Amino acid sequence: MKKNKVLVFSVILLSLIGIIMIYSSSHIWAEYKYNNPYKYLINQGIFFIIGIFLMFITSKIDYKIYKEKCNLIILICFLLLILVLIPGIGTVRNGSRSWFGIGGFGIQPSELAKIGLIIFVSKYLEKNNKYKKQTNKFLLPIMGFIILFFLLILLQPDFGTGMVIVISLIGLLFISGSKLGIFIKLGVVGVLGIIGLIIIAPYRLKRITSYLNPWSDPLGSGFQIIQSLYAIGPGGLLGFGLGNSRQKHFYLPEPQTDFIFSILAEEFGFIGCAIVITLFMILFYTSIKIALETTDLFGKYLVFGLSFMLIFQTCLNLMVVTGIIPVTGVTLPFLSYGGSSLLVSMIEIGIILNVNKKSIN
Amino acid sequence: MFQSIQNKRIKYVLLIMCLILLIVLLRVFWVQVIEYKKLNTLANDLWSRNLPVQADRGRILDRNGKVIADNITTASLILIPNQIEDKEKVAKTLSEILGVSYEEMYKHVSKKTSIEKVHPEGRGLSYEIADKINSYEFDGVYLVKEAKRFYKYNDLLSHVIGYVGIDNQGLSGLELLYDKYLTGTNGNIKYYSDGKGKKLELSEIYENPKSGNDIYLTVDLDLQLALERELNNAVDKYKAAGAIGIVMNPKTGEIFAMGSKPSFNPTNYKDYTVETINRNLAIWQNFEPGSTFKIVTLASAIEEGVVNVFEDKFYDTGSIKVKGATLHCWRHKGHGLQTYVQVAENSCNPGFVTLGLKLGKEKLFSYIDKFGFGKKTGIDLNGESKGIIFDTSKIGDLETATTAFGQGVSVTAIQQVNAVSAIVNNGNMYTPYIVSKVVNDKEIIIENVPKLKKENLISEKTSDVVKYVLESVVANGSGRNAYIENYRVGGKTGTAQKVGSDGHYMVGNYILSFIGFMPANDPEYVVYIAIDNARGVVQYGGTVSAPIAGSIFKEIINLYDLKEDYEGLPKTYKWDDIVYEMVPDVINMSKKEAQKLLKNFTIEYSGNGDKVVDISPSPGNRIKQRGVVKLLLN
Repeated sequence: MKKNKVLVFSVILLSLIGIIMIYSSSHIWAEYKYNNPYKYLINQGIFFIIGIFLMFITSKIDYKIYKEKCNLIILICFLLLILVLIPGIGTVRNGSRSWFGIGGFGIQPSELAKIGLIIFVSKYLEKNNKYKKQTNKFLLPIMGFIILFFLLILLQPDFGTGMVIVISLIGLLFISGSKLGIFIKLGVVGVLGIIGLIIIAPYRLKRITSYLNPWSDPLGSGFQIIQSLYAIGPGGLLGFGLGNSRQKHFYLPEPQTDFIFSILAEEFGFIGCAIVITLFMILFYTSIKIALETTDLFGKYLVFGLSFMLIFQTCLNLMVVTGIIPVTGVTLPFLSYGGSSLLVSMIEIGIILNVNKKSIN
Repeated sequence: MFQSIQNKRIKYVLLIMCLILLIVLLRVFWVQVIEYKKLNTLANDLWSRNLPVQADRGRILDRNGKVIADNITTASLILIPNQIEDKEKVAKTLSEILGVSYEEMYKHVSKKTSIEKVHPEGRGLSYEIADKINSYEFDGVYLVKEAKRFYKYNDLLSHVIGYVGIDNQGLSGLELLYDKYLTGTNGNIKYYSDGKGKKLELSEIYENPKSGNDIYLTVDLDLQLALERELNNAVDKYKAAGAIGIVMNPKTGEIFAMGSKPSFNPTNYKDYTVETINRNLAIWQNFEPGSTFKIVTLASAIEEGVVNVFEDKFYDTGSIKVKGATLHCWRHKGHGLQTYVQVAENSCNPGFVTLGLKLGKEKLFSYIDKFGFGKKTGIDLNGESKGIIFDTSKIGDLETATTAFGQGVSVTAIQQVNAVSAIVNNGNMYTPYIVSKVVNDKEIIIENVPKLKKENLISEKTSDVVKYVLESVVANGSGRNAYIENYRVGGKTGTAQKVGSDGHYMVGNYILSFIGFMPANDPEYVVYIAIDNARGVVQYGGTVSAPIAGSIFKEIINLYDLKEDYEGLPKTYKWDDIVYEMVPDVINMSKKEAQKLLKNFTIEYSGNGDKVVDISPSPGNRIKQRGVVKLLLN
């Protein structure tokens, strides 16, 4: 039970830091766009409370239910992903048709699909555990399934979420004990796939070149990376202090979303960054520990899949904002502004909490 | 073991993810600590906006620290359109205050730029107007200090100093040549702004502007004022096309004064023609020197030993034949039998032709070359010309003959001053210069010292003889109008016909010049005056330019309080000259004896005795004939 407390503690702490940073980084934008500096703060606060509630509920729901209702869950996810593509039902935000607008809020089915797919793949791997040395029989069907969902998400298009899902599921296939050769082949396919995607949409190549030299096109594709570094760099060791970011003053667009870590670095310096990264490490170490200790194979896969998805998305976001890899457009779990993302992250933690409880019983 | 493969691989994944997070942390450290300085500077440039505060331009001062080119402080209007809320109101108010149309002002206040200047109406504002604008306290409307060049003495030394443009940038003369040193470093009022250009509530930083460096000239302002005044008078009096004046120290090359007419007022430089502004005639204009060039012939002939000026004689018939051509003396009936001292006094052309021919073309032209003709003197000013000397291959006896008395060559005023300075300075030539030092807050950045260019061009003895002959020219000859009682002046006049654009001499269009030096035995001042196309006057350098030079010498005597010297040559008098006589020593004589010696003076007595106790002016002074002497009797 100690692990559950550590998990809940770090999640709440990260979310609270997130709420503070969302207010600090967004109030200028919110004032400008909505005439209400508290707009993002209030929204995120509401989602935080709902999220805590959902985490509590899901930690009480026996995770085995997901295994039973697996097919229903995945069917719902599939239908939602199709529905969102239909104009009039799905709404477009930031160039992607990936939202259901409900009142002032939006729900992203791709976020829900994250959980659905982890459940489905975990169950598949447990069920077919005995075939795991036969690559063709074991991996090929599930891979086809994954690619189907990936393509659906790409149609929105939401490359960032799609990639997080695919990599997380591949991670899950990897730890199931399948043969390693297939992963090398997958790597090659992946590289070819990325090249293919770049040919389809050349703006992605621009993101990559701007990553290699952001200053080559400072007002175009390198803009976000440069603005992010302009926030992180001057922060120095201790930062400018809460509320004193300069980059949030219309230099870094939408600073409360993907680039919230940059504003954190600007206001709290290296110390603040180290604290947040440490909190993430504690969170993942604890949840991975739970996966290791769970003896139920479905539970183990479920916990690993969910934690790996969170950790991978975190790493992806942090590498983007610090300029290690090109811009991919994923948010930072718990910290970035975004209702669906926060709720789904909380639900994921709730599921992990329940698996831990059950495995101890 | 049960599930061991899964657990092993989970650990791998955990390890890789932890490594990635560590890399991120190291990257953050790299960006925030190692690259901090670079990124911080770049980001500060992004965040901060600068309101420029103009630095004072360095001043230009004379040799005694008197300011010639100064600055006055004005205010300049700066608009930051992004910060101006009520654009209509601001535009309306400013357009009324500055007298700019509303439409134009509205364009300024709504321009898509970070900083906008209203040019030129918003520049150089007086205190009253600036105060009026300030009283409205508009956001985004700023007044910053702007320094404007101020030329105290208008057109004084204008060609040397030059002028500056609206942004205080040097455009000509020393203002251009030394622009790098004169330009200060502008200061800033730095404030932070957001990505849309609005001002952020962060403290402003004020960076002091740094004034430019001061330039000290070798010029003496008082002497320059006198020279300008004399040249202006001459131009007015004779309706002359132009005038040149130079005063230089032959022992160092320092220029004490330099004038070129027509001149211009640098403040309104746009009102003048390009020719007027760009041509510093003292170093730019090429012209036939005429007789002043004879000094060069004379010095060369004496140095080469081809003439003994005191003993050799020459009979002038009024003309001389060279290679079938007849060269006339300016005096048609000729000067008769003369020593060569008298040849110089009379400026007798045939006499100098014989000197030139005795020297021969090689020697004469090698001296001309040595004395720097046909080359720039290297004075530290822009726009110097080289002059024109005959192509050596085309020189025959005729060219040698005319060159000997100053025809057929073309020289600049500064070349003549430099050559004569070398001749009277024992054959040592110094490069002329006008900037003495560049000073930054009392710390000297550049210091120009006298530069000995050529040594022993002629011997000291030759120099002494030339000086004696030229003193005699002033005392007895054509330079008499520059004579100053009790001071030793040497010099030579020059009257040169100008060559027109068709290559022929122009009728009745002369450059009348005089070059002189003082004290004649050990010259410290060389004065050159040239008047171009003087009208309504006898066309001789002696009548027009020598008196001007005389006035300049008198000014020098007054300014530097030069002591009188009785060793000089007495002047010989013509009937219309005022005659000066030396006061004899009558102290301790009886009243009667004194009266006898003082018969040419008017005597006033004080005291009733019979013995002279004192006399005023004191013995040795020269005073006018019939002038008053006072005797104190016991």
